[in-house]
Amino acid sequence: MNLDYKIRYIAKNTYENKTDGALWQFLIIPENNYSQQLISDEFINSLNIPVENSINGYGFRTYRIRPRQSIEEIVFTADFKIIKKVENIFERVSHEYSKDEYTNLRSLEFRAENDVFLRFTNLTSLHQKVDFEFDESITLFENLQNLNSWIKNEFTFKTNVTDIDTDLNHILEIKQGVCQDFTHLFIAIAKQFGIPSRYVSGYLHQGNGYFGDSQMHAWVECHIPDTGWIGFDPTNNLLAAEDHIKVAHGKDYSDCPPLKGVVYSSGKNETEYSVQVSAQQQQQ
Amino acid sequence: MLARVANNLFWMGRYIERAEHVARYLNVNYFTSLDAPNELSQSRQFVLQSMLFMADDFTRNENELNEEEVLFDIALNPDKQFSIINYVKLARENANSARDLISTELYEAINKFYHFVLNYPVENFKKNGLYDFSVQVTENTSILRGKIRGTLLHDQVYSIIMLGVNIERATQVIRIINSKYKDAEIAQGSYGDTLKNSYEWTTLLKCAESYDMMRRFYRQTPTSITTLEFLILNTDCPRSVMNSLNEVWEHINDLSREKHHSKHSSAFLIGKVRAKYRFKVIEEIESDLQAFIENILDDLNGIGVKLEKEYFHY
Amino acid sequence: MKSNKNNPTFKSYNRDPKLYDEIFDENDEVRETYKTLFELYSEHSAKDFGKLNTKAKASFFNQGITFQVYGDHEIKEKIFPFDLFPRIIDSEEWEHIEKGVLQRSRALNAFLWDVYHDKKIIKEGIVPLDLISSSENYLDQMNGFDPPGGIYNHISGTDLIKHSDGKYYVLEDNIRCPSGVSYVVCNRTALKRALFGVFNHYQAYTVTNYAENLLEILETVKPKGVDVPNCVVITPGIYNSAYYEHSYLAKAMGVELVEGQDLFVENDFVYMKTINGPEKVDVIYRRIDDQFLDPLEFKPDSAIGVPGLMAAYKKGNVCLVNTPGTGVADDKAIYTYMPEIIKYYLKEDPILNNVPTYHCSRPDELDYVLNNIQNLVIKPVDEAGGYGISIGNRLSREEIEEVKQTVSASPRKYIAQPIMSLSVHPTYIEDSECFEPRHVDLRTFTLLGSSKDFVLKGGLTRVALKKGNLIVNSSQGGGSKDTWVLKNNQ
Repeated sequence: MNLDYKIRYIAKNTYENKTDGALWQFLIIPENNYSQQLISDEFINSLNIPVENSINGYGFRTYRIRPRQSIEEIVFTADFKIIKKVENIFERVSHEYSKDEYTNLRSLEFRAENDVFLRFTNLTSLHQKVDFEFDESITLFENLQNLNSWIKNEFTFKTNVTDIDTDLNHILEIKQGVCQDFTHLFIAIAKQFGIPSRYVSGYLHQGNGYFGDSQMHAWVECHIPDTGWIGFDPTNNLLAAEDHIKVAHGKDYSDCPPLKGVVYSSGKNETEYSVQVSAQQQQQ
Repeated sequence: MLARVANNLFWMGRYIERAEHVARYLNVNYFTSLDAPNELSQSRQFVLQSMLFMADDFTRNENELNEEEVLFDIALNPDKQFSIINYVKLARENANSARDLISTELYEAINKFYHFVLNYPVENFKKNGLYDFSVQVTENTSILRGKIRGTLLHDQVYSIIMLGVNIERATQVIRIINSKYKDAEIAQGSYGDTLKNSYEWTTLLKCAESYDMMRRFYRQTPTSITTLEFLILNTDCPRSVMNSLNEVWEHINDLSREKHHSKHSSAFLIGKVRAKYRFKVIEEIESDLQAFIENILDDLNGIGVKLEKEYFHY
Repeated sequence: MKSNKNNPTFKSYNRDPKLYDEIFDENDEVRETYKTLFELYSEHSAKDFGKLNTKAKASFFNQGITFQVYGDHEIKEKIFPFDLFPRIIDSEEWEHIEKGVLQRSRALNAFLWDVYHDKKIIKEGIVPLDLISSSENYLDQMNGFDPPGGIYNHISGTDLIKHSDGKYYVLEDNIRCPSGVSYVVCNRTALKRALFGVFNHYQAYTVTNYAENLLEILETVKPKGVDVPNCVVITPGIYNSAYYEHSYLAKAMGVELVEGQDLFVENDFVYMKTINGPEKVDVIYRRIDDQFLDPLEFKPDSAIGVPGLMAAYKKGNVCLVNTPGTGVADDKAIYTYMPEIIKYYLKEDPILNNVPTYHCSRPDELDYVLNNIQNLVIKPVDEAGGYGISIGNRLSREEIEEVKQTVSASPRKYIAQPIMSLSVHPTYIEDSECFEPRHVDLRTFTLLGSSKDFVLKGGLTRVALKKGNLIVNSSQGGGSKDTWVLKNNQ
């Protein structure tokens, strides 16, 4: 079975003083992968500035806009259509316990192959012990599911208490945060155990009352030996499946913010943005 | 050529030229005033005021100007935007960023000049260095002029520097005329000097290094009319405004790739300005010199702005 | 040729038998290579050298071959002191060096390809994974990317010394933005101006062909589909300490010297802003560090980079030289694995010696280091320019304790090596007005292209002007010498 998705992303940038040269890069286009297919993408802006299609350093598609005029306000609107495959993630994961899984995880070959996603970054470093422990008598997948629910149980979703630079140790203290924070925390704990983990930025279909407010969502992908990359959404204690539409991944948030800009302007600037995701079961 | 580098070369030319004119102005005014035929022209305050006017410093309103201070400010005060030392610094900085395009010889000469000005002993200058300093500055700039002409390929790089040099020269000559005309107006009447036969005309010509040329051309004592005619309209005088405009026209044609200049281009504007002054007569200019000066300064400024938009925008 | 004592300009030259002296042998006889030069120099008085020295200094200053030193209050312009006594390397010795540095550059290139692709050398346990994963200079954006022509370190600067055993040792491989080559050319020019006569007696290779070879190398890595590539040099700007070199190279190659603000990226192609409008750029010799190249990809506040440059690069529309991410291999900890790296990729024995190295990251070696600091040089793994180096036998007891503490606190950050004695070379000393022995090293410049390579026959001999000082970097008060590589027929 497949789902049809329509996604609308709107961002409005305002500048207190007119810009004197600007460049924006949007990392918001759903990627094409085995479980999702991008049918169409459209990106327009209120000033009709031409849009360039490019990539970021990790090869994910981006939109880039470089106005020639000075700007006080600009609105960007993106519309995407996606077909998402509905699948049972559990079928992809091997449920039989084997010690080999842990041996493979620790093999030099596996670690070298996944080195990039085993490195600690500023946003995914823990300086204190957390009371979650891995249990080597169950599968890695089960451990990660436990971690997923541990985060959901221990922490409360709350906006405006953290921002993109918030240190994990602060989050451990206040036990609150948003999807980015929980994703970073998950990554940090999983990496500490030696599981390659990466930050995923994307859209969440909130039809079922999931957390993530009407913005872009974040979750984790972990590389389980012999299984591959599996997505975990600690904010909602879910596996990333048909409700999760992936845009890009990286080591942490700083590798995949939806909007990056180089703007020459004095004074304050503001970005407001919103995301709408609507789904429809595909007519067959 | 990079637009930024072109801009730097243009300004390098302008600053070199500007340093020269300011230095000569200091020198000529100060030393001719020492034995000027009337009391006012000899007056220190009168001369210092004139220097400040030329250097563009209108910040002072003391009645009694301090000679040492004024001379230091205009020549060697690094904190004054209008000082010679500052112009030389800027010229060298501009040369630095175009270092790969200009000849080693030119760069070395600019660099030496810079170190000379930078290391000029301030105390010496204040005591008795004005003559030595200003002469060295003008000599150095003429060395630079020689290096520009003789060690650079006469291509776009050369044209852009020469555009800067000539626009600045026209501007400075006009400013000197403006400044000295004011002086002549103030000085008139003392000891029977009329405006027409003011001693200041000789000074003016010397400030533009054109006194000898003028004497050869007219074979008579400078008057207001002949001086203005010579410095503004005479196409053979290398310091005249008209000659500078001709040079600007020539160099923009080396730079522009269009055969027929589009009406929004710098070349078109330069041609238009040049045509406007080419057939002016001096009596017309003299009848309202002030308006003429404002007008032509506007025109020169407009050319600079246009060049910047068309060629130096980065 | 009998001893130096007869020569007044060498009156205070005291040979230290513990060190390798480049011009006097153990019997105080002038070595064969230097005999003619020594005789020629004997014709000049100390006063002559004093004058020549002053002249040479003024010439560097007037040419603006200077670097800036940032003091507490003001910026000072300084020249990189030039010494009048040239370093001579005979053809046999040079052949050994040339083969050795080329071998290292090739091995490093193969290593870089591997660590950004299959990581075989790591998987086989030859180089520890830790060294790569803890390196701040590893760019994961480059993972799996094939740089044009397969070249990473187009330009390498290899620092060599001659130890008291008379053998060359490599101290460092610089493959990010190695600098100094412009001084090689300036030194030659300066020596010619000062003492042109001596060149009649020796046949030294020219050094001015570096730029033309560099340009050829840049052209070998042009993007696909480009016929005649438009090459540029990018500099951080006129206030950068190596600005003279950037402008020299651009001028000598006849290409534009650009700053970040002169370039822009449109539809993943790079253009420069010229007086006649945008002009496409194909190859960029960048003298800007990785982290400043592109504010969209690296440091977001970099004002000297070009937004979108990495995307253009990864799409194959422009080539960057050296390749971003080479820094992972000029880490001093990687250096210690060079013998293994050479054997692994080239199946050859290393031609040049490596200095034996202790890794403070290994517990047993850390123990040895902590107990023997007085006999070792302690170096931070990732500092350039001679900063943060402690030389064991120069430290007081308190200082040794301090070093111990810093090293134990973050052992991964330090390596230690036996104190190598750099060879000494006669150097004109202004205070004593004669030649005295001073420590020297040698930086060579190697170019790798996809279809050619080149080692500059010559190099930068750096000299520590302070008596007994072993650190030759210009930021630490070093000077330099013209370096002659002799042709075979002598």
